[in-house]
Amino acid sequence: MLNFDWLSGISQETAKLIFFSLYLLIGVLVLLLPDEYVYEGIPKENRHWWNNLKLWSWTVLAILAVVYYQF
Amino acid sequence: MLAGIDYFIVIAYIVGMLLLGLYFKKFVNNSEDYFLGGKSLPFWAIGMSIVVSDIGALDFVGVSGQAYRYGVAVGNFDWVGSVPAMLLAAFIFIPYFWRGGMYTIPEYLGRRYNKSVRTIASATWILFFALDLGVLFWASAVLLNVLMGWPIWISILSTAGVVGLYTYFGGITAVIMTDVVQMIIMFIGGFALVFLSLDAVGGWENLVEKVNTMGPEYRSHFDIIQPVDTTSPFPWTGILFGLTFVMANAYMIGNQSIVQRCLTAKNEWHAKASMIFGSALKMFIPILVLFPGLMAVVVHPDLADGDQALPMMIKSILPPGLVGLMFAAFFAGLMSSVDSLLNSTATLFTKDIYEPFIKKDGDDKHYLKVGRITTLVLLIIGVATAPISSDFPGIYVAIQTFMSYFQGPLFAILILGIFWKRTTQWGGLSALVIGIGFAIFLNVFKTEFFTIEDPFLYISWWSFLLGFIINVVVSLMTKKHTALELEGLVFSARILTKSKT
Repeated sequence: MLNFDWLSGISQETAKLIFFSLYLLIGVLVLLLPDEYVYEGIPKENRHWWNNLKLWSWTVLAILAVVYYQF
Repeated sequence: MLAGIDYFIVIAYIVGMLLLGLYFKKFVNNSEDYFLGGKSLPFWAIGMSIVVSDIGALDFVGVSGQAYRYGVAVGNFDWVGSVPAMLLAAFIFIPYFWRGGMYTIPEYLGRRYNKSVRTIASATWILFFALDLGVLFWASAVLLNVLMGWPIWISILSTAGVVGLYTYFGGITAVIMTDVVQMIIMFIGGFALVFLSLDAVGGWENLVEKVNTMGPEYRSHFDIIQPVDTTSPFPWTGILFGLTFVMANAYMIGNQSIVQRCLTAKNEWHAKASMIFGSALKMFIPILVLFPGLMAVVVHPDLADGDQALPMMIKSILPPGLVGLMFAAFFAGLMSSVDSLLNSTATLFTKDIYEPFIKKDGDDKHYLKVGRITTLVLLIIGVATAPISSDFPGIYVAIQTFMSYFQGPLFAILILGIFWKRTTQWGGLSALVIGIGFAIFLNVFKTEFFTIEDPFLYISWWSFLLGFIINVVVSLMTKKHTALELEGLVFSARILTKSKT
């Protein structure tokens, strides 16, 4: 049990899909954050799309997904 | 051995770092400057500092060695082992710590639980960091010994002298700003080695083909997802449960040397952005540290010790000049890790041990002085304990083993502490003590319980789970905290909709 042998029936391909699902879930949760919270610390008049940390997060998650797709 | 130009590059680098670090001495006027950089630093500097402190010399030598033995699966540590945890830290934990004006993670645990939890967590980190220092010094000695033939103790002492001096005077600002330069040098040196090594093995496709035909033990070298029944330390279940759910979070959220950097940010946006920017940079780390190990499988197929893969690649692939740059890159990794540990441990000791237990009412200058003296004492401990590392077969695995003792229980109390208001001080204390004890028990009897080579990922998961359950059960049986006691310490949807709590 401690060795997770009860999960040995799951193939490596399925396991990879589990990781992709996790990235997607995180991406969705990030999208649900209010913009006000994401920009907190920047005055309203100085807020631009490139300061949007949701965009940063999605970019990083996309790169991560590409790496796992490649290997 | 290094050529004349290599020596020049290395010496210029070391002197440059020393001068740059000492320049920031003038910005240190009080303990907040020394420990939190006066809360004035930008996201890009912090993000680069997080990455370079995390990668360090250990990854250059240890991960290359692991990649030589097990393949790309070791890259999980910088990919899935960083990004999800850093996003969680950026959006949930860091804003709490930053808004609370905290210096240390145990300080949060002390406010959320009690003084004992704070002390145990702090003492454990101090112990880990002190051991870590020894491992880092030993890693430097391994490379210096192969490359330059320097005696072990000469290399250890010279590293300690340079890093100790600028950390002592410049505090965390010197640490972070030297980290920025160190990261740039590491990336230049690392990419130079990767491109030249790739050329030496005839390109990527040729590398894959050659490694795959070297025998059955190399067939899964390019599979990032390893099956459950693998004998390597990286089955996908360990990567998902042990690394992604526990160790990565514990490291990015509960590690003083990482979180302390975010607390130096000039505002909350910079604090959050530093983590996300750092996670983007982390994506490149496996290219620098893992690929040379993979290529060494083809170039040097008969190495007895995987940790020799990187030094041998540097020796056989790089021309004069670039050897010096690569050595400077290695030294950069080492220095950045050592300076981080020194400053963070000094912060932990001063804020969590000295201030509450030894001298409560000292003035600010006194605590600044204590922080500096602690830095010196730690240097001595790190140098003295360096030879212990030679008793472990893989340097990187050794450090993970140390961490797995308490990462799980620590994360269990952190996550419940911030997300569940019913968690009590006795729940947190029991979870921490029993969880650490259980992790040590599993590690001592690992051959009885586990089938994989080094089960540190599984140990961290099971000790987390036990710590989590114990925290819940004991909390439900003990008196709950009042709303006033929990104010600003437990996650609430209000933090997302209100600008400041």
